Amino acid sequence: MQHWKKLAFGVALATLGLMAAAKADDYKSLPRKDTLIVENPEGTIKNPGWFNIWVNGGGGVSTGLQQLTMDTLWYIDPEKGLGGSTWDNSLAADKPQYNADFTEMTVKLRKGLYWSDGVEFTADDLVYTVKTQMDHPGMVWSAAFSVQVASVEATDPYTVVFKLKKPNSRFHAIFTVRWNGAWIMPKHVFEKVADPLRYDFANPVSLGAYKLKAYDPQGQWYTWEKRDDWQRTSLARFGEPAPKYVTYVDPGPPDKRTIAQLEHNLDIIHDNTPEGMFTLKEKSKSVETWFPGFPFAHPDPTLPAVIFNTQDPAFANPDVRWALALLIDIKAVDMASYRGAATLSALGVPPTAATMTDYQAPMQDWLKNFEIDTGKRKIKPYDPTIGQQVADILRKQPKFKDQIPTDPAAISTAFGYGWWKPDPQAAAELLEKAGFKKTGGKWMTPDGQPFKIRMTVEGDTRSVFTRAGTLIAQQWASFGIDAKAVPAAKLWQVALQPGDFQVAIAWSVETWGGDPDLSFFLDSWHSQFVAKKGDNQPPRNWQRWSNPELDKIIESIRGISADDPKGIELGNDYLKLVAREMPTIPLMSYNVFTSMDTTYWTGYPTISDPYTDPVPNWANSRLMMVKLKPAQPK
Amino acid sequence: MTSYLIFVLKRFGQFLLVVFLGVTITFFVTHLTPIDPVEESIGAITQMGQSDPNAIELMRQSLRELYGMEGSIWQQYLHFWLRLATGDLGPSLSAFPTPVSTIILRSLPWTIGLMTVSTLITFVLGNAIGALAGYYRKDMVLKAVSLVFIALLPIPYYILAFVLLIVFGYLWPVLPINGGYEMNANLDLSFALVLDILKHSILPAVSLIMVGAGSWLIGMRALVSNIITEDYVVFAELGGVPKRRILRSYIARNAMVPQFTGLAMSLGAIFNGTVITEIVFGYPGIGNLLIEAVHAGDYSLVLGLSALSIVGVAAAVFIIDILSPLIDPRIKVE
Repeated sequence: MQHWKKLAFGVALATLGLMAAAKADDYKSLPRKDTLIVENPEGTIKNPGWFNIWVNGGGGVSTGLQQLTMDTLWYIDPEKGLGGSTWDNSLAADKPQYNADFTEMTVKLRKGLYWSDGVEFTADDLVYTVKTQMDHPGMVWSAAFSVQVASVEATDPYTVVFKLKKPNSRFHAIFTVRWNGAWIMPKHVFEKVADPLRYDFANPVSLGAYKLKAYDPQGQWYTWEKRDDWQRTSLARFGEPAPKYVTYVDPGPPDKRTIAQLEHNLDIIHDNTPEGMFTLKEKSKSVETWFPGFPFAHPDPTLPAVIFNTQDPAFANPDVRWALALLIDIKAVDMASYRGAATLSALGVPPTAATMTDYQAPMQDWLKNFEIDTGKRKIKPYDPTIGQQVADILRKQPKFKDQIPTDPAAISTAFGYGWWKPDPQAAAELLEKAGFKKTGGKWMTPDGQPFKIRMTVEGDTRSVFTRAGTLIAQQWASFGIDAKAVPAAKLWQVALQPGDFQVAIAWSVETWGGDPDLSFFLDSWHSQFVAKKGDNQPPRNWQRWSNPELDKIIESIRGISADDPKGIELGNDYLKLVAREMPTIPLMSYNVFTSMDTTYWTGYPTISDPYTDPVPNWANSRLMMVKLKPAQPK
Repeated sequence: MTSYLIFVLKRFGQFLLVVFLGVTITFFVTHLTPIDPVEESIGAITQMGQSDPNAIELMRQSLRELYGMEGSIWQQYLHFWLRLATGDLGPSLSAFPTPVSTIILRSLPWTIGLMTVSTLITFVLGNAIGALAGYYRKDMVLKAVSLVFIALLPIPYYILAFVLLIVFGYLWPVLPINGGYEMNANLDLSFALVLDILKHSILPAVSLIMVGAGSWLIGMRALVSNIITEDYVVFAELGGVPKRRILRSYIARNAMVPQFTGLAMSLGAIFNGTVITEIVFGYPGIGNLLIEAVHAGDYSLVLGLSALSIVGVAAAVFIIDILSPLIDPRIKVE
C-alpha cells in the first residue's frame, strides 16, 4: 500500500511536470553581466505565445515586444531624446510632409533597414500595414486608418503618400510613438497568412535591434537577444545596444520587486510604491532613481486631477468648482498620497521637464496676478511658494533632510512651483454666489437639498490617488459638505466612460511630454465629442466639459502644423481658460517610482542625463539600450 | 437492478439540471456586470495613443461584432449553448482570439496538481489524527496536536498564507514564495524540474493543509467518539481484541464512509481553484486566471472556468450518489 502511494505521488508529479514542459531555452545559463532584467508591469501574460501586436488583447506588449522589436515612423520622447531633440525620425527619413490644406501626407523612408530575417524594409510594408488593418476591422489601428485614410500608395520603394478623407494636421501622430504607436507589419510574413486577426506571429520577425530568444510558456518572462545585424536597424544611428540579452519578467507585487532588486536580480523596477522606493533608497547603495534624492520618481506626462462631471448640475457652475478647489490643502494631500514625493501643478498640463519650460515657468507671473471674483471681492488665489513649503516640510524629516534640494530652481523642478492656497472664506462666498446656503453647519444646494459629493477613487489598484481622494473628500466634509470617497474597481470603465460619477480622481490630460503640442489630448476635448448624459464618453474629456472658447482654441490648433510656434500661444490660452473655468482641479504629476540597479549596468536616464523616459515599458526605452554600459568586468 | 438503474437515471437528470441552471446563472450574472469586455479593449487601445472619438466608435462596433456580443442577451445565450454543445467555449475576450479552452488547459494542471496533493494530504492527516484522538481520548500528545489544528481552523487560509510567506519567504527565506517553478528554470522534463515544482508548491499546499486538516479531524473525531460506544466495539474491547485492530478494522473503516463522501466532493471542487492562495503565492493556476478574467470582463473565460467548476462539483456529487448504495449497505435506492 505504501509503495502504491509513493508511486501514485510520483506519477502525479511527473504528470505535472510533463504538462508544464515546453520548448524553451534556459536563460539561467545566460551570463548575467550580459543580461538586462526589466520588470514587465503587465504581470504574467496569460497568452504567452501571442506576438501579433496588431490584434488587441492577444498577448502582452510590455514584454519587450513593443520596446525592442517593433518600429514605426517617428518617436517623440517625453524627455530630451538622443538625437539632440525629442523628435526622432525613426523609420522615416524626415518629418512628415503635408500639403497646404493637410489632406495629404508624404513620408520618405530610410534606406538600408532590414527585418531580422534578412528582408529589406520598404514602402510596401507601410502600405501593407495600413491596408491590411483597414481591411480587417478589429485590429488595433483598423478604425483609426479607416476613419482617416482615403488612399495610401508607395510612389517608390522609399516614399509613401497618404491621401486623407478630411484635413488633419496631426495624422502623423498615429505613427508617432510616445508610449506606443502604429507599428509596421512585415508584409512578407503576414501576406502568407489566411487571417491576420487570428495569426499568433509566434516567431516574431523583428524590425528592432533585438529578436526573440526564449519565453516562459507560463508567461512570466521573455528574453530578447541582440541581432547580429543590429547595424541594419533604426536604433543603430545612436550606437550599438549594450545588453546582449534583455529579459522582461513579472517579479510579483511591490514587496517582491523590492526584494528582487535588493538582491540585484532585477535591474529596472517599472513602478514601485512610495514606501518601496524609500526602502530601496535606504537599504541599497546601488539603486539609481530619476531624481537622485526626494521625490526620486519620474513625472509621467499625465495629470492626475479632481475631475468634475460637469453634466451633473451641482458641478456645472465654475464658481462651485473653484470653491471646492479653494477647500483643498494640497500640502496635506501631497503628504497623504505621495508622502511628499510629487511634483505639483496648478495648471492643466503635467509638470514634465518640457512643459515646465514651455508652460509652467512662463505662466508664473500670470498665475501670481490671476484673480477670481467671489461675488463679494476679488482674490488672488495662487500661492507661488507651495513647492518650497513642501520641501521645507520634508527637510524637517531626519530621514530625508539631506536629500531635499535647497536651490529654488531644483525645488520647482522636483516639487512644482505653486498651487492654490486654501481659502475657506472665499470658498463660502463662491458657493453663496452660486446660490448655495449653509444651514445648521451643512451646505445646501440652491434647490434646498444637502450638498452631497461622492468622490470616486480607484481603491487598491491606485492607492496613491485613493489616499488623495479620500483626504480631499474629508477636507470638503470638514467644511460642511456631505462628501465621501467611494472606491470603484474599474474606475475608467464603470464610472468615467459612462459618466456614472460626480467627482473622480483620474486624469483627462495626457501630453507628448517632450513636445509643447497639446493636441495629443486637447483635440478630443472639442464639444463635438461630448457625449449626451447617459451615453459613453469617448476618451479623454471625462469631465464632459464644453466651452465655445475652448472649441476655438482647438480649431486653431487643428489648422496649424504641430511644430508651429503659435501652438504654444494657443496652449497658453487653453491653460488660462481652464484656470478660470476649473473643469478639473489639477493636482500633481503621476509620479512613477522607477528604480534602476547599477550592479550590472550603468548609464540609466536620470534628471542629470535625461535622454529618455526611464519607465521601461515605454517604447522609447529602447534608447536605454545604446546608453547603458556594463558595470561588471568582461 | 431495475430500481438502481432508475435511481441512476434520476440522479443523472438532476446532474444535467444542476449543470444547466449553474451555467445559466453564471451566464446572466457575468453579462449583468458593469464591466464590458469591449470597453476594456477600447481602454487598452486608448492607452496605445488613440483618442480620435470617431475611430473609437468604429472600433467599438467592430469589436462587438468580433466578440459575438451583437444581438439581445437571449440571442447571445442561445448562441452560447449552441457553441457549448459542440464543446466550443469560444475565444477569450481578453486574449482574443485564443480559445478559452487553450487558456484553461494551460492553467488547469497547476491547480489540479496543487489541489489534489493538498486535498489528499489534508484528508489523510485530518482523518488519521481525528481517528486516533477520538479513540485515545486521554493521550496528551494527540490532544495537543488536535488543539493546534482546531485552533488553526477558524483562521482564513489566506491569512495563514501571508504568515507562511513572511516566515519562509523573508524572515527565514528557505522556500520560494512566487510562481509554480523557478522563474528561469529549464522546462525540459527532468527530476530537477519536478523537485522545483514540488518546492514551489510547499507553501501554498501547507497553507491549505494546515487549515483544511482541522475540519476532517473534528469530523472524524466525532464519528469515532460515536462509534466507540457501539456494542460491537465494546464487545471487542472486552474480548481482548488489540486496540490497534479495533481502531483500524472496527472503528476507522466504519467512520470513513461519510468521510470518503466528503473527499469526493472536495476533489470535485478542485476545479474551483484556490483563488486567494494562488494570488498570494503567484501560483499559475485557474484561481489566478479567474480573477484576471473577472477584472478584464472576459465573459467567455469566466463562463468557461465556471462551467468547469460546476461540472466538476456536480459530477462528484453524481458519482458519490450512484456509488453510495453499492458501498454502504445501509443506503437503499427506493
